[in-house]
Amino acid sequence: MTSQRTLFQEFKKGIWAENPVIKMLLGMCPALAVTNSAVNGLAMGLASTFVVICSSAIVSIIRRFVPGGVRIPTYIIIIAGFVTLADLFLRAYFPVISKALGPYVPLIVVNCMIMGRAEFFASKHPVVPSILDALGTGTGFVWVLVVLGSIREILGSGSIFGVTLLSERIYTPWVVMILPAGAFLSLGLLIALINYLTQRRQGAH
Amino acid sequence: MKILLVFISAAIVNNFVLTYFLGICPFLGVSKRIDTSVNMGLATTFVMSLAAAITWLINHYILIAFNLPFLQNVTYIITIASLVQLVEMFIRKSSPSLYRSLGIFLPLITTNCAILGLTLFAALREYSFIESLSFGIGAGAGFTIALVIMAGIREELEFADVPAPLKGAPMTLLVAGMLALAFMGFAGLLSV
Amino acid sequence: MKNSSPLGMILALTVTAVVIGAILAGFYQLVEPRIEANRLAEEKRAIFSVLEGAETYDVIEREVPSDKKGGEIIRIFRGLDADGRTVGYAFIAEGPGFAGIIRMMVGLNFDLETLSGLKVMEQVETPGLGNKIGEEKFEGQFKGVAIRPRIEYLKNKKPVKPNQIQAITGATISSKAVVDAINKRVETILSVLGPQAAAGEG
Repeated sequence: MTSQRTLFQEFKKGIWAENPVIKMLLGMCPALAVTNSAVNGLAMGLASTFVVICSSAIVSIIRRFVPGGVRIPTYIIIIAGFVTLADLFLRAYFPVISKALGPYVPLIVVNCMIMGRAEFFASKHPVVPSILDALGTGTGFVWVLVVLGSIREILGSGSIFGVTLLSERIYTPWVVMILPAGAFLSLGLLIALINYLTQRRQGAH
Repeated sequence: MKILLVFISAAIVNNFVLTYFLGICPFLGVSKRIDTSVNMGLATTFVMSLAAAITWLINHYILIAFNLPFLQNVTYIITIASLVQLVEMFIRKSSPSLYRSLGIFLPLITTNCAILGLTLFAALREYSFIESLSFGIGAGAGFTIALVIMAGIREELEFADVPAPLKGAPMTLLVAGMLALAFMGFAGLLSV
Repeated sequence: MKNSSPLGMILALTVTAVVIGAILAGFYQLVEPRIEANRLAEEKRAIFSVLEGAETYDVIEREVPSDKKGGEIIRIFRGLDADGRTVGYAFIAEGPGFAGIIRMMVGLNFDLETLSGLKVMEQVETPGLGNKIGEEKFEGQFKGVAIRPRIEYLKNKKPVKPNQIQAITGATISSKAVVDAINKRVETILSVLGPQAAAGEG
């Protein structure tokens, strides 16, 4: 049952078929809020991945000892604990990024993607598949955040990862792209594009 | 005076949903009909004002008093989760009719990032007790406004001929983007 | 899921909370000095960037009356050059901007007549417009600007008087917020430093 192939599938599904942001529409709050630059998206993605992997692992280990009635509160405490660890770590070693992300780091606690993995997968599966599942979900989250952050940074500031691509002399940045409205518009169009490609492929078959 | 400014700022100028991206999940998920949106908004506003008040007390009399800032996140989320549970039990006992209209939304509120976000922002900005309370009610009002406007648009959208790739989430996000653009008109009106 | 008795539930929650609390407390002890050091390093960088020629600084703490209860303790950083002479004073000014609080380090020359520099430390102004207050082009204007009678800003015009700066195009509110916060703070700082400087100290 836990052959190499199925383990790999546990990992793979989160990247595309069950991508948290694009397909499941989970974790929208950080996906929209911090993706005003590629590096912020990457940092938020990695911090969330760390939390989802650790909490899924712990939830899977203790799944037999937690009474059903307090399952959710216990998971929330565990997730909040790892989020605080990630927050303290960023503040100590990456103060600039920590400042840019602000209160959105503590808010990883309520990222429904993490709770979703704990509740629907880790609480029912052994440790190794749970970790792979979380890793896949985290990877899926990271790439969407980085793509979204890059699109918004290129259009909104003319740069990517802080490196100027389009000089202000030849390109007037679309400031709106790094504002809240730009976040909604870019993510909406990104999902629409992916839907379009998927539907066209299905139509071709 | 500042109390009123905090309220208006949270409700309209810096609308929680449209400028801070808090409470997006219910915003995208629940806002399909106006009447359910109103109920969801009211339930959230109620929990938000309670949460703002209680977390303020916890922050000042426990976390700051005993120098435990690193427990802020954990205690806040536990407070909110228990609060939601208590409110649910209370409403079920005291008003079955209210429970029928609000009940199903209450468990959803725990994972509504708007509530945790509200309490964290209030602590970050060092609001006083009354200001925190006003911030909570204002944020709830802002959430309700965004939800109801969105529901109104989506009810109309049902009759529109939306291109297939845009159906569902993308269209909702695009509409939200336009709403955010509209709310930018309020930006800078006041900042507290 | 074997023991769903109330006791089991309380036990499970308590154990989880205690373990997580202990881990967090331990990790906090470990990284707290570093977080504090980051904060101090940032403050230090800002102080030296607004006080040209300063080699070291000391801190003056004074309690001043404020609208908050019980007054407010302000900290003034006195910059000293290699010979121990005062080159100026740095202090933090903050005020509401367009989108949130703007926090900045302000340098005041030792003659208490002109500013020696400005460094915006925290701001969440509109990217591309208001956040230009954090750019050298705007900050630099405050170097040498006269604080009396008060700092003023002009829209779309080059400054003509020594107490004027030019506001950022399209971001008058952010520019005004900076100027207002500085003016307000300068008054308080002068009320603290005034008598001291007059007495020939430093």
